[in-house]
Amino acid sequence: MRLSIINGSPRGVSSNTMKLLEYFTKGFLETEGNSIEILHSIKDRPDFTKEREMFLRAERLLIAFPLYVDAMPGSVKELIESFEPLKGKNPSLKLMFMTQCGFPETHHTRFVERYCEKLGRRLGCVYGGAICKGGCEGLTVQPPALVEKVFKRFYELGKAYGETGELDSKILARLAHPEQLTPENLKQVIPMVNNFLWDGLMKKNNALDKSFDKPYGEDL
Amino acid sequence: MKILFMNGSSAGSELNSYISSVINSVKAAGHEAGELILRDMNYSPCRGCFNCWVRTPGLCVFKDDGDTLCREFLTADIAVLASPVIMGYPAAIVKNALDRIIPLIHPYLEDIGGEVHHLKRYKKYPAMALLLEKTGDTDDEDIEIIRDIYQRAALNLQSSLKLLRLTNSPVEEAAHALINN
Repeated sequence: MRLSIINGSPRGVSSNTMKLLEYFTKGFLETEGNSIEILHSIKDRPDFTKEREMFLRAERLLIAFPLYVDAMPGSVKELIESFEPLKGKNPSLKLMFMTQCGFPETHHTRFVERYCEKLGRRLGCVYGGAICKGGCEGLTVQPPALVEKVFKRFYELGKAYGETGELDSKILARLAHPEQLTPENLKQVIPMVNNFLWDGLMKKNNALDKSFDKPYGEDL
Repeated sequence: MKILFMNGSSAGSELNSYISSVINSVKAAGHEAGELILRDMNYSPCRGCFNCWVRTPGLCVFKDDGDTLCREFLTADIAVLASPVIMGYPAAIVKNALDRIIPLIHPYLEDIGGEVHHLKRYKKYPAMALLLEKTGDTDDEDIEIIRDIYQRAALNLQSSLKLLRLTNSPVEEAAHALINN
């Protein structure tokens, strides 16, 4: 089985999206004979020649992107617009998506997931589903035990996909946990993210005292 | 009231004259109206570096028209995103603009209605509105998907989606709806 992948992260190779893809593809490649190819679309804008060529000849295509302001990043929308002339040109293509967000709840990704499903239909492909995952910002500063669990699930999902050619709905659901947070979880998670992730990064940059700066006007 | 129109149409599109007519109506009713023609502006897509949150809080690393986008958005009472629907979604040029206004909010998270969203950096944010031109294969399902996503996006920008209008409705109705929402 050959899997073609477009990493749509504006951070390119050094992105959380790519990190998750690494584990997914590691699992996928456990099955003998499987192979992958990856393009980083941020490098190929605005023409996306390589991506359009990949779309036309691929058997299985996974388009992965981080959630930006509740949807695909603008640069991924550029990519999608470049696919407009390709509608119906590869009807046997199995098209999948992967989207991850920094918010702890996977629920935030469910709205763009509907767009992805519709896009699969619009392009005239076989829709293979979407991998949705919250809690992915700061993978490098989160507790290792938490991060390892996320990576393991992506590996398992990739492995099962490599064997069956389908996204396993049970693994997808486990991976998406928590879909939403309980009030108790919210009370714990919010200060943790604010203090450890954001304050930590601001401290590192000597910017903590500027945290609430209003460069467009103090009175605004 | 100050209404900002972020024009995401291409040159020569009928949407341009529709927007101009709405602007004239809004002005005739005594309101202030501004227009940013996005295709004539120069701004890079957001690269997700988060420097605007953790290195130079409130300011993007890119020194381009993203600065104008932020300033104009923040000082409007209503920000109208006017765009053709391309491949089931507003134009990439509009999404790139929206991605570039995240310096206006704070990275901290807070509980809004039982969900995690971002905190305010400024006191006040504009209400948001969508003025959409159906093109090609756009259908009602697309419009509902767009509405649902933009309601979420507005919430994350400390705003709310006040209105979604299609350009197949009369100009006067669109202007009236904007003013009265």
